[in-house]
Amino acid sequence: MNRTVGYRLRCIAFALIGQALLSQSVLAEPYIAVRTGLKCTVCHTSPSGGGKRTAYGNVYAQTQLVARTLDLGNLWTGEINRYLAVGGDIRGGWSKTDVPGQATSSDTELDELLAYVEVRPFPQYLMIYADAKLRPDDPTIRELYARLSLGEGRWTIRAGEFFLPFGFRLQDDDAFIRQVPGINYNTPDSGWEIGLERGKWSAQFAVTRGTAGGPETDSGKQYSLRVSHVATMWRVGGSFNFNDAKVGDRQMQSVFAGLRTGPVAWLGEIVYIIDDGTATGRRRLWASLLEANYTPRKGHNLKMSFEFFDPDSSVSEDEQNRLSLVWEYFPMQFFRTRLGYRRYKGIPQNPAQNREQFFLELHIPF
Amino acid sequence: MQRPDFLLSFFLVTLIVGCSGGNGDGLNVSGRPLSEAADVPLAATLESIQSNVFDPSCTLCHAGANAPQGLRLDTANSFTNLVGIRSRENGSVLRVAPGEPNNSYLVRKLEGTASVGERMPLGGPPIPQATIDFVRQWITDGALADSTGPSDSAPLIVSLTPMPDSVGAFPVEIIVGFDRDMDASTINAMTFELIRSGGDGQFDDGNEEVIVPSSVSLSSMNARVAIMDLAGVAGVLDRYQVTLRGTGANVMLSVVGRALDGEYTGSLPSGDGLEGGDFVVVFDVQGLQPTLESIQANIFSPTCAVAGCHTGPTGPNLPSGMDLSSADASFASLVNVASVEVPTTLRVAAGDANSSYLIHKLEGSAAVGAQMPFGGPFLDQSTMDVIRVWIDSGAAR
Repeated sequence: MNRTVGYRLRCIAFALIGQALLSQSVLAEPYIAVRTGLKCTVCHTSPSGGGKRTAYGNVYAQTQLVARTLDLGNLWTGEINRYLAVGGDIRGGWSKTDVPGQATSSDTELDELLAYVEVRPFPQYLMIYADAKLRPDDPTIRELYARLSLGEGRWTIRAGEFFLPFGFRLQDDDAFIRQVPGINYNTPDSGWEIGLERGKWSAQFAVTRGTAGGPETDSGKQYSLRVSHVATMWRVGGSFNFNDAKVGDRQMQSVFAGLRTGPVAWLGEIVYIIDDGTATGRRRLWASLLEANYTPRKGHNLKMSFEFFDPDSSVSEDEQNRLSLVWEYFPMQFFRTRLGYRRYKGIPQNPAQNREQFFLELHIPF
Repeated sequence: MQRPDFLLSFFLVTLIVGCSGGNGDGLNVSGRPLSEAADVPLAATLESIQSNVFDPSCTLCHAGANAPQGLRLDTANSFTNLVGIRSRENGSVLRVAPGEPNNSYLVRKLEGTASVGERMPLGGPPIPQATIDFVRQWITDGALADSTGPSDSAPLIVSLTPMPDSVGAFPVEIIVGFDRDMDASTINAMTFELIRSGGDGQFDDGNEEVIVPSSVSLSSMNARVAIMDLAGVAGVLDRYQVTLRGTGANVMLSVVGRALDGEYTGSLPSGDGLEGGDFVVVFDVQGLQPTLESIQANIFSPTCAVAGCHTGPTGPNLPSGMDLSSADASFASLVNVASVEVPTTLRVAAGDANSSYLIHKLEGSAAVGAQMPFGGPFLDQSTMDVIRVWIDSGAAR
């Protein structure tokens, strides 16, 4: 790394870490946040995590996550100027699924081409953000909101369509703690959110339609609250969500925590749901995650996770779980691979709950 | 640096010990107690689809107040959330269009052909096509709610495909849904009639033409569905009138002998609360039709046979060699002719739209080359569905 780049990196790092201490907290790929001891908003624009990376996030990804940084000239920061920043993600890969009693299926496809645009008409105060999925299929807007920052970033207000704050925001939408609550990358909601940052504490409170991406259908709203405390070696938080819906209320709560022990970053979350919108009346559901991320050397991550799901606590022997083993390799900047195996276990009479999956994912972030 | 051995060992032991799902004792395929809902054999009924598809594969997400796109597929809500309801991802398509599986967003999402979003079940293995075919059949049969068995009330009409007062392509069949099981012996060409106006839109001036269908019968898979098969009938741009008899010498009867309560006043279900009464509605056939002449005039000529593209003469060189400049040339270039790009695939496999390279190219799923029309704009799904119908019905010249 030459002196110019190093100087630039230090400037960006100091500036953005400083900004991060004053801004909202969120979790994108949470194990990285746990490993670094930083709030996820240090690396991501969205206060709910994921999506466009900040300048620091881009530089970190190109220099710290990768096994080696090739000399490609200036590092990419996504910053066009102080009023405009852009980014994107391309993901694709191959997967093979074995369902007992069925023919093995495999698939090779482009999973997603995402584009991010951040417009700052009044830098440090007002930001307009868009997250669009361009491919595959027809283009769709996932997030589109305006965010106002007040009190030197301690308070933020955003309005528009965005991903709701709830628990850990894993990349994997199929994880039980993401799929069962129904708060994931497929279900942005429209409304407003107020955020507060105070020291190591972060909080977001959102009021939205409660239609998981659909138009308003009744006068009831969905209320989401997420509070977290982030320390250098650990973090802990809680989420509460209540959807006041004509078709039946749903109340969700979760506790989540992260811990760094040497080269291992641990994640854990437990979600408890009370659902009144079922044909058989009130139902209580549990979902949980335990994940370990082991870094044997720079540019590598071995992820192991165990998930549990109880679809109805009043019914015995209906539980499901999922075991994942994933090797993530970051050979160089703008290039990531994930090779993984997942095994699902559920009731024997449902073959899909007992499937195995192998996958190879290629990811180009910029 | 702390060694991870102990922690990893602990973690792996935890996984091994905990890695077993429920044993499923006393539960159905959806994980619900058998006392609550027994397993139902796979069939083209909502009850069966609910039990074999929606409950085990969809309700993990599509249930409760947070159901994605507001689509709840639990037993209490699946019918009312699906049938006749516009998709929120693609507002031009109904989630389930009775009688039209190709135009039903549910089928597109299950088969992975929807223009928006990912194939369902999200993250899970695809539903086997053999199972989806039962969903298709249920929709083809009118997408009726669960049967409640015979009743002493007069039968009502709850659905009709094509819909009353609709405008579109000439249908390959007319599908009528009833609210109860019907007597198959009373479903015939004397109780279920179709005429066209003769070009003037009027049905009282003597120039009407009676359409002779291939068959009229009660569905063999659903006693609440009557089907008029129009295969082989040449559609003409005109206004058509459907009549189902509830009065007169020949009437439709339920399985307990009650006559159709058929009066139609602008909405379904039919009836005035009194037994008897004819059901009379009209629909118009306009625009693109599932015939080569119509497809040629509306698609091939203005969109494909333009300068520099599929203009002929016929030959191995693309794109001009695939001559789409006239109906005769298109027929010769397409029907049962091997693709140049993928020689193992016929450009149009008569009777099999899914295996036709033309469809693959138009829908953007071909393994070689760009989606057509080259550079776009691409055809909308409803237009491609008309081409599909032409191919599936034999790709006649």
